[in-house]
Amino acid sequence: MMSGRSIPFLAGVTAALAAGWLAFPRAIYRSQPEPVNFSHKIHADKAGAKCEDCHTFRDDGSFAGLPALDKCTGCHSAPMGTTSAEKSFIDNYVTPNRQPQWVSYARQPENVSFSHAAHVKRAKMACETCHGNTGSSDTLRPFQIDRISGYSRDIWKTPGTSHGMKMADCVECHRRQGLEHSCLDCHK
Amino acid sequence: MNATRRQVLMFAGGSAVGVMFTPAPWRLITDTALWSENWPGIPAPPRGEIHTRFTNCSICTAGCAVRARCVGDQPVELAGVAGHPISRGALCPFGIVGHHLPYIPARLKEGPVGQAAAAIAGGLAKCGPAEFVVTLDLQPGRTASWTYRRAMGALKNGRYIAPSVDAQVAVDLSKARTVLSFGVPVLDGWGTPGIVNAARAGFRLIQIDAVESRTASMADRWFRVRPNSEEVLAAALAGRISPAQAADATGLAVAEIAALAQELEQGGPVLVLGSSQLESTVGTVVARHETPVPGEWKKSAPVTDLASLPDRSVRVLLIDESMPGGYLQWSAIARKLVADNPVVVTFAASPEGYARHANYALPVAVYPEVSGDVPPAIDSVASTFRIASPLVSPPSGMVNPESFIATAAGLSTGDTLRERADAIHKSARGAVFTYADGQSQPLKDMKPDDFWKVLNAGGCWIDEPGAQTAAKLTFGTAARPPEEESDLPLAIVVARETASGIPLLSKVYRESNLRLAPGYVALNPACGLEDGSQAIFETLLGKATVGVTLDSGIPPGVAQVSATPALLDLCAAGARAKVVRS
Amino acid sequence: MTSANKPIRAARYGMTIDLDRCNGCGACMLACAVENNVPPAHEAATDRKGLTWLRVYKVDNGEAYPGRRTAFVPVMCQHCGNETPCVHVCPQQAVDIDPATGVVGEMPQRCLGCRYCMAACPYHARYFNWWDPAWPLGMEKMLNPGVTPRMRGVVEKCNFCHGRWHAAKEAAAAAGKPDTPVEYTPACVEACPTGAIHFGDLNDPGSTVAKEAAEPGSFRLLEKLNTQPKVYYRSQKEWVRQVASAPRPSAAKEKDRG
Repeated sequence: MMSGRSIPFLAGVTAALAAGWLAFPRAIYRSQPEPVNFSHKIHADKAGAKCEDCHTFRDDGSFAGLPALDKCTGCHSAPMGTTSAEKSFIDNYVTPNRQPQWVSYARQPENVSFSHAAHVKRAKMACETCHGNTGSSDTLRPFQIDRISGYSRDIWKTPGTSHGMKMADCVECHRRQGLEHSCLDCHK
Repeated sequence: MNATRRQVLMFAGGSAVGVMFTPAPWRLITDTALWSENWPGIPAPPRGEIHTRFTNCSICTAGCAVRARCVGDQPVELAGVAGHPISRGALCPFGIVGHHLPYIPARLKEGPVGQAAAAIAGGLAKCGPAEFVVTLDLQPGRTASWTYRRAMGALKNGRYIAPSVDAQVAVDLSKARTVLSFGVPVLDGWGTPGIVNAARAGFRLIQIDAVESRTASMADRWFRVRPNSEEVLAAALAGRISPAQAADATGLAVAEIAALAQELEQGGPVLVLGSSQLESTVGTVVARHETPVPGEWKKSAPVTDLASLPDRSVRVLLIDESMPGGYLQWSAIARKLVADNPVVVTFAASPEGYARHANYALPVAVYPEVSGDVPPAIDSVASTFRIASPLVSPPSGMVNPESFIATAAGLSTGDTLRERADAIHKSARGAVFTYADGQSQPLKDMKPDDFWKVLNAGGCWIDEPGAQTAAKLTFGTAARPPEEESDLPLAIVVARETASGIPLLSKVYRESNLRLAPGYVALNPACGLEDGSQAIFETLLGKATVGVTLDSGIPPGVAQVSATPALLDLCAAGARAKVVRS
Repeated sequence: MTSANKPIRAARYGMTIDLDRCNGCGACMLACAVENNVPPAHEAATDRKGLTWLRVYKVDNGEAYPGRRTAFVPVMCQHCGNETPCVHVCPQQAVDIDPATGVVGEMPQRCLGCRYCMAACPYHARYFNWWDPAWPLGMEKMLNPGVTPRMRGVVEKCNFCHGRWHAAKEAAAAAGKPDTPVEYTPACVEACPTGAIHFGDLNDPGSTVAKEAAEPGSFRLLEKLNTQPKVYYRSQKEWVRQVASAPRPSAAKEKDRG
């Protein structure tokens, strides 16, 4: 059964399995911290902010996405708390009036036309459905970028949800809703 | 331990089998596909908030109102302003891509500003008693034009010249039942597209043209005459010569000319464009009120033309070709310059115009970088004041010709546009149309500051319409004697295409054969040259390389030249040419 | 795409183009290129290798002066409704016809560049990216964010300005309007200075295009092929209608073309 010949073979299988399941995920992603260690939880609790207070819709229906610096300086022109994260934010961004270069976990390819208005306003989906529990997190998880394709790890599986944000995941939900008409519905 | 080759191969085989059960190979395939989608060099469009801003186009005197869709502050798309009383929401092809003008690769980006200023000062000092300092303004009628006139008026020997145009006379297309056009491109770049298109159904267009121009092809009736014989036909229609004489020169049949004369008699009111031998019917030509100017500006040099200057009398020549306007043949200008070291300074964005001849070419800002006003168009029955307000910042190092020339002449100026707007406001005439809300209100109901704000945020002032006037239009092709006898085989017809240089215009120039590109010559297919080939264009004045387009709408023996300044320099009035394979 | 879709009120977006108004200025071609991020021509491009999603052709009645008459015909993807040729032949299924809008949509990201669809299209309305797009320095700032630029090796064509359709849908969703066919204006329709092009929902009997398309003077290109295109042309001139049915050129005209 277990002869001398099959040991290298099984060793190879084991090594490959270990490399593929353990080492590969670590190697394929490069980790990048967000510019500021922002705590959603503090802002939700203390400032009573809901998602749409900072991640706003504009008048023409487009989604403003990540807030610009002026949204933060509305309150944080002077330090409001005692954390070092806030202090470094004020020193590095508020004072020199520099926009933080946030990296978006959910950034889709250029050819995708995603309408937040259609999903939030018309379909009344909750933010957590696609974005997970980011809104109740105390820190921002590091942005893990795939070294080859350049896309975020969250596209494959957003923490706190049962799926990721690849095309197949979007199509699956659209199919369930009976809203699968044409490629150009979602592509531009 | 020593691994045998067999063991290594077994290990490798096991790895290969094992890796299939891991996500690695499948992920690598997907990632490679995704990587290949983000091909380097394909730019990603900018992201940002979409704004709407308004301005007026300053590429030509139509000055059509423009609604710019901007990402952040950068205009990405231009369209007209629907409901505008003058431009009616229309933009021409050049206006549609106007926001590309700042990025033309060949644009002049730097120039010897200090040296030019020194040379001008030197020239001014050296000026003899019979010598002049001249400003040539290729887009007269602007507020900057008044500054030039004032600057030249401040000098004892200053002169202001412009291509002859009567700024106060306009045509009223809505009053014409017949428009008789001698080669004027009525439907293609002559007037304001919005006005012409709105009035089109109300008049019958008779086009006298040597080639099947775009206007000729869309006209109700096209009479094909021999090149440069338009004035002969006009003379026949005016009764100065007999139809038989005109038939000889033009190539038309006597019966055709007689029929045309009869049609003009019965099809009134008739508006005549392009010939001063025939009078337009009263009512079709109006005299506009002059757009008000501050009183102290009236003390300025009068508008004269090139012909009024004696030969060899100009010591310093300053040319403002910052806005696409006319081009006067260089040879006509060169003979007016003094023989010993004249100073010629041109203010231009393109190296193709007078920069080829001038001593100093200074770069200027272009639409939509620059703030300036647009004079009223030929078909606007009321005077207007509209500002082409800047949508983007110009690059550093650009020269403002208005302030440069004023400084050189020792004239101190303030914010001339604001002063002009205030003078208009004082007149309390006319109405102001605001683009943002599409509303019109009388000027007298507005405060000066609000008026100024509206003008800069997108608006225009429209005067009361002018009164009917003596019906002869003095612009247009004056009868000029043809050049000396030449045996060159082709008669030249010059087509003026708005000079632009914008690469995206390749859509209509090269990626289709819809328009004739500047620097191209259209010939009848029987000429024997290949479509799209390069050829040598030769006149008595010189040679140039041109591109060839074959067009069966061009009769044999005629060359339609889409003129660049370089080609215009070669084409004297009535010129003939030869086009050969290069 | 699947039969399990919710029932929707389907639109059939179409155009009517008045050929008696079109003066061949080309503003529509340029507005289309600006809206859809179509790059300027490569140095080696000719009118056979260019990218003109919308192209205005000059046609004439074949006679010499004085009988010669000329017209200008803007041609873009006709969005064939019956057995759409390009949809049928694509090996990648990179083209589909949207049952909700009637628009034939090209997916350049899926296209592998075989150009079978270009051969199948009877209107020559599909264009191939022979080269990578190159905009002069600085001009990439002016790209339209609503449309994605394409790389070389893929086919592209008019999609009735789908970027503007997306924006209109988003504005309707944000305003709480029902998800019925949205009204929007493609770039060429907006740009045409003579107002020759009209756009709308052919399924809506009250729309301008539906009324104009139903007029007896309206015709479509190559009607004999029964592709049921959604672009209707109008002209009072009989010879223009003849040109639209593409009779074989006469021997004299063949010689004239050289």
